[in-house]
Amino acid sequence: MKNTRRGLWLTLLPMYLFTLVFVAGPLVYMVVLSFLQRDESWGVTANFTLQNYTQIFQPVYLQTFADSLGLALLSTALIVLVGYPFGYFMARLSARGKKRMMLALMIPFWTSSLIRLYGWIIIFRANGPLDQLLMGLHITSEPLRLLYTYPAVVVGMVYALVQFMIFAVYSSAEKMDWSLVEAARDLGASPFTAFCTVTLKMTLPGLLSGVILTFIPSMGLFFIADILGGNTVVLVGSLIEDQLVKAHNTPFAAALSVVLMLMTTAMIAFYRKVSDVKELEGLL
Amino acid sequence: MKKLFSAVLAGAVLAGSLAGCGQSADRELNLFTWVGMFPDEVLADFTAETGIKVNYSNFDTDESMLQKLSQAEGGDYDLIIADDYIIQTAIEQGLVAKLDKSKLENIGNVNPVYQGQFYDPTDEYTVPYGAGVQTIVYNPAMVDKEITGYADLWDSALADNLAVVGNYRVINGMALKVMGESYNTEDPAVIAEAGEKLLELAPNIRLIKDSNTQDDLISGEVGAAVMYTSQVTLAMMADPSLKVVFPSEGIGLGIMAQFIPVNAPHSDEAHEFIDYILRPEVAKECFQYIGYYCTNQAADALIDEEFRSFLTLPEDFDAASTEMIQPISAEAEEAHVQAWTEFKNACGQ
Amino acid sequence: MKKGRFRFSYLYMGLVLAIMYLPILLTVIYSFNESRISSVWGGFSLTWYRQLFRDEEMFHALWNSIVLAVCSCLLAAVLGTLGAFGMTRVKSRLNGPMEYLSTLPIMIPEIILGMVFLAFFGLLGLPFGMLTLILAHTAFCVPYIFMLVKARLVGMDPSLAEAARDLGAGEVRVFFDITLPLIAPAIASGMLLSFAMSFDDVIISIFVTGVNVNTLPIRVYTQLKTGVTPEINALCTLMLAGTVLLVALSVWIGREKKHAPKL
Repeated sequence: MKNTRRGLWLTLLPMYLFTLVFVAGPLVYMVVLSFLQRDESWGVTANFTLQNYTQIFQPVYLQTFADSLGLALLSTALIVLVGYPFGYFMARLSARGKKRMMLALMIPFWTSSLIRLYGWIIIFRANGPLDQLLMGLHITSEPLRLLYTYPAVVVGMVYALVQFMIFAVYSSAEKMDWSLVEAARDLGASPFTAFCTVTLKMTLPGLLSGVILTFIPSMGLFFIADILGGNTVVLVGSLIEDQLVKAHNTPFAAALSVVLMLMTTAMIAFYRKVSDVKELEGLL
Repeated sequence: MKKLFSAVLAGAVLAGSLAGCGQSADRELNLFTWVGMFPDEVLADFTAETGIKVNYSNFDTDESMLQKLSQAEGGDYDLIIADDYIIQTAIEQGLVAKLDKSKLENIGNVNPVYQGQFYDPTDEYTVPYGAGVQTIVYNPAMVDKEITGYADLWDSALADNLAVVGNYRVINGMALKVMGESYNTEDPAVIAEAGEKLLELAPNIRLIKDSNTQDDLISGEVGAAVMYTSQVTLAMMADPSLKVVFPSEGIGLGIMAQFIPVNAPHSDEAHEFIDYILRPEVAKECFQYIGYYCTNQAADALIDEEFRSFLTLPEDFDAASTEMIQPISAEAEEAHVQAWTEFKNACGQ
Repeated sequence: MKKGRFRFSYLYMGLVLAIMYLPILLTVIYSFNESRISSVWGGFSLTWYRQLFRDEEMFHALWNSIVLAVCSCLLAAVLGTLGAFGMTRVKSRLNGPMEYLSTLPIMIPEIILGMVFLAFFGLLGLPFGMLTLILAHTAFCVPYIFMLVKARLVGMDPSLAEAARDLGAGEVRVFFDITLPLIAPAIASGMLLSFAMSFDDVIISIFVTGVNVNTLPIRVYTQLKTGVTPEINALCTLMLAGTVLLVALSVWIGREKKHAPKL
């Protein structure tokens, strides 16, 4: 028996080693960097400092964190609105329908995300297809100038992340025992009550993991803000990029990253507590 | 099963590394620069003439280039083309080799306006390859105001109608120029003041973008833009009714230059390439392709008529009115970043 | 009543799918655009396809991307599957923290990962190129496979494996004969997802790549920076066609065999 146990430990070993060396290692290094001082022109010097963290508390950077959170909240709310019904409806399809729907959702996923976002630029352009349509239908009389606005960024976020929500909700809803809903209805519950008491409760793990899987990336997806927002919507991700690539301030970028990571971790911990589930369910 | 996996994996890695190394021709040149810096024909002709195979690899920003180069300890790459300020840093870090001028027959073709600049005051390390000036381009049909300098960009006639490049030294620099300061001031108070001034510009900003801004100008997304030279060239080619303004406050000049890393594996080939590009007829092809100001005096006369006004300096160009953006102290840099972040936050409101 | 609701759900899903495909459709349409500028329609043309087929660099980059995606998704499949299997079987206090650590790469913004990988690989003195790319990509592919396989294992009926063990099968035998076939769909979908993520990754790749190793997304991204030509649209259209073809093929083969591979 002991042998078996040792054998089982061996199966864990590769992933443990890889994770320790190539995930924990770099991250520890990042934390170390965040406490160092930047060099005069480039790189870092080995002086311990807390300055990178105190700097975050300047109003301008706090503002960026707040704006990022706001955008992430709004995007996630919309993603729930769009993705939840989709995942739910999808789980009610026939086996064949499910398979087809899965394919239909995966194909855009395999297309370069950069290119897909460029498709939206074409749509949103002044006098582009959307304007032409709306003006053709006499809904609007002049170009909307949607490109490079906040709504355009929100659309981009929803578009880039909604699949995660759909898959998460679907995998929860698919496992659901539909007879429970019917039982509730038989006992006289209205469709709405049945939904709230049974369906919602049973798909909650999927919904929550969907929220995690969309909320966290939406704080960092700076290229969406770049491409569709014309860079006027500043996210923590863009701030990190600016610090890293343009200002060469690696320690400050590292400190920002550490704070962002702590926020992420706190969210995941909160999620585990609330949902009482160990797994982030239904990545696909 | 595991063995099968590892066998497949090993095979794939091997295939990958082979694909990575490329064919080991006798003579080769590892060229490292942005995408699209040379017309394919020029590279093909060079290979045909010299038998040197050109391996063209790309970086996206100067900073990632420098990071790569310092990781490689000045090796791996044979010839790099990058922006002025980063070359200064690279030289300071000892990553750049001195050129052997005896191997560069055509070095005399370089336009002296672009020589002896801050990053290489004695021209020991670099040969310029294209220059850019920051200009304002606007569409008179969309802007009810004649623009002559940076100060005009603050006018309310441009509300939500202006695009600028995403480089804080250039944009904060506009405010500095309007205030009559230098791009390279290191006084945090002055930079902060420029930041305040910039906040007043925020309502006019529709777009902050480094690439393809000309598309937005042409499609009418914005009425005016502060752009780099190659974008100006593309915009003017597509729509000649646009107006180009050399700002009255002074002109920001940027130079791209070629240099050879200190441990370049194929230094001779790199010299040969530089010299080849310095030939007037080759240089003409290159500059017409990349759309930057021609840094090769001997090529100026060869530039086609339709390109001449974009690629060669105007007759009355006053070299003294230009200023290059140079590296500044970390403290000043920090002040810039903060002003810039505040500005971007204000633009989104 | 029930019928009506079902119709609404079809309408809803159809609408969402239509919006999802709209930008892709436009990319396809604009790949046939004569004009170089994406905002202007200059008439139908195959110019960009011709230019694409002359672009050796682009195909080189495509090949690199395929090699990279295949290697990292295979490596991640081995690591992730074994890890998930071990973790459900061995009860250890290490499991929680290790699980958190190993899934971190998909929980933190890519730019952070790119930055730390660059700094860290530099610290280790690894040569930048295909090796560093594979390591970095494997790191963010493992979580997908690990999470999917683990979810599958947790939901699995343990009595099957127990029965096999009672009948005298060794652990290895049980793993290959019972467990592996059962978790195969999860591994497969994890690998597909990993492949897609690796194939699409720009930010991390840009940081950790080396001389002469351009991947397709790097090529696309750097080109987007210096000036997009509709050549990119053309490439995207071809890749889309390839994907659809592969999917159709797998569905067709699945039908022949009477059991379609589950995605």
